[in-house]
Amino acid sequence: MNDIRKNWTWFILIMALILGVGIYLGQSRRTELGKSFDYSLDEYRQVDPSLIHYTEVEPLVPTLGKISALAVAPDGKIYVGGEDAVQVFPDGGTFPVDGIPTCMAVDDDGTMFVGMQDHVEIRSKNWEKTVWPSPGGKAYLTSIVVDDEYVYVADAGNRRVWRYDKAGGKPLEIGRKDSANGVRGFNIPSPFFDVDLGPDGSLWAVNPGYHALENYRPDGMPISSWEKSSFMIEGFSGCCNPSHFALMPDGSFVTAEKGLPRVKIHNVDGSLRCVVAAPDQFDEGVVGLDVAVDDEGRIYVLDPNRNQVRIFEEKE
Amino acid sequence: MKPKGKRKRRDFVRGAAAVLVGGVAVSSLRSCSPKLVWQIDPEKCTQCGRCATHCVLAPSAVKCFHSYSICGYCDLCGGYLRPDAKKRNTGAENQLCPTAAITRTFIENPYYQYKIDEDLCIGCGICVEGCDVFGNGSMYLQVKHDLCVNCNECAIAHACPSDAFKRVPASEPYLLKSDREKRIS
Ligand code: SF4
Ligand code: SF4
Ligand code: SF4
Repeated sequence: MNDIRKNWTWFILIMALILGVGIYLGQSRRTELGKSFDYSLDEYRQVDPSLIHYTEVEPLVPTLGKISALAVAPDGKIYVGGEDAVQVFPDGGTFPVDGIPTCMAVDDDGTMFVGMQDHVEIRSKNWEKTVWPSPGGKAYLTSIVVDDEYVYVADAGNRRVWRYDKAGGKPLEIGRKDSANGVRGFNIPSPFFDVDLGPDGSLWAVNPGYHALENYRPDGMPISSWEKSSFMIEGFSGCCNPSHFALMPDGSFVTAEKGLPRVKIHNVDGSLRCVVAAPDQFDEGVVGLDVAVDDEGRIYVLDPNRNQVRIFEEKE
Repeated sequence: MKPKGKRKRRDFVRGAAAVLVGGVAVSSLRSCSPKLVWQIDPEKCTQCGRCATHCVLAPSAVKCFHSYSICGYCDLCGGYLRPDAKKRNTGAENQLCPTAAITRTFIENPYYQYKIDEDLCIGCGICVEGCDVFGNGSMYLQVKHDLCVNCNECAIAHACPSDAFKRVPASEPYLLKSDREKRIS
């Protein structure tokens, strides 16, 4: 009997030892990764407070969900597109649309040009709808601007800006690679591709893959450009920034970025003028900070995470 | 009549064998049920680094996957280049991956292709973080099933702070971000 007990004791001990060694080996792998495995953007999130020349005031809080498009009309009204509707501030009411607009512009006479992902819908003042055919291909419309003659539509999917007449029809293609004329083509890795009009009426388009802003004549010929790649506050970082921009009345650029969410103003030559909002003023990971500017230089930032249009005014 | 000592030894050997055979039988019965394997839900993973440190295998059975159909083929790839990279080139000082597991190949101006060398990848997830923050999120972590030994209790699943590990059918062992994507290694 004693022998049996002894044998079983040994058997259990050996099994326990094997189990113990297994557990030890498993646990012993639980070391931390070394310093070279640290990934931190904290350094780049810090902004010198003296660079921040703007202060935030009360935001606009739309009653729509999923806000995604922003425009300042020539009469100063703010148009916000979201889930199945467009809301106009102040007190302009809410108008239904079929889906979520991806971009929007408003003409002098109140006509709205609404980008619905792959096509443009025109809404007259009386909310009558006209639909322009989609540019086709992989169309993904991300920005619209309108002047007296033309409607410019940025198409991130096809990497083109389409210039339409006010009546629609076949658009002129802007941005096809044309080395002879100095057009390198738009490099758009993700669906962020913004356009705006300069004070002289010429077209500005962001070329996000190059961290560049490019200026074109209405016929698509390039005029000038500037670019700045840097994680530092002076430049743009990541694979596609600035994600949005708008021109100030004096021709300087308000830019918004994704990755390191921040809103800044760059002078006409691209040099940094000041910061409007630093990364710590936004939720981490926010994307789609569309920006717009009114005649007084007030800056509107569509914040999809908070579902608000945040407003920034220059400090006294 | 057999000697008593011999019989006791034989009884013990039989008993011990029965315990071992029983264990094997129970585990083989378990393996008859539909086979499940461990996998990472890319939407839940927060790239905490434990996939690299907690796998029972060294290097880990978790590797970076790269989806061509999502990738922007960016020159300035947030998954390839360090945030403080001085230049956009293949210089070791500019690369984010601590094990140099990502190769960069020029395709045509301004596009580059990024490939993961599975032998060098340890599943640390740093590139995934960089790609998520600045790119399209085309890089993500997956348990590689030709390496994983499918532990009953996956040590990483136990340690995962984001509840990103789940059991999936062995017939569909990957949680790919895009149907069109092809695994590159
Ligand atoms: S342990 Fe979980 S959160 Fe951490 S890297 Fe692995 S899957 Fe991602
Ligand atoms: S950074 Fe980490 S997860 Fe990415 S390829 Fe290198 S070793 Fe693999
Ligand atoms: S099941 Fe085991 S081998 Fe597979 S990933 Fe988890 S710990 Fe590693």
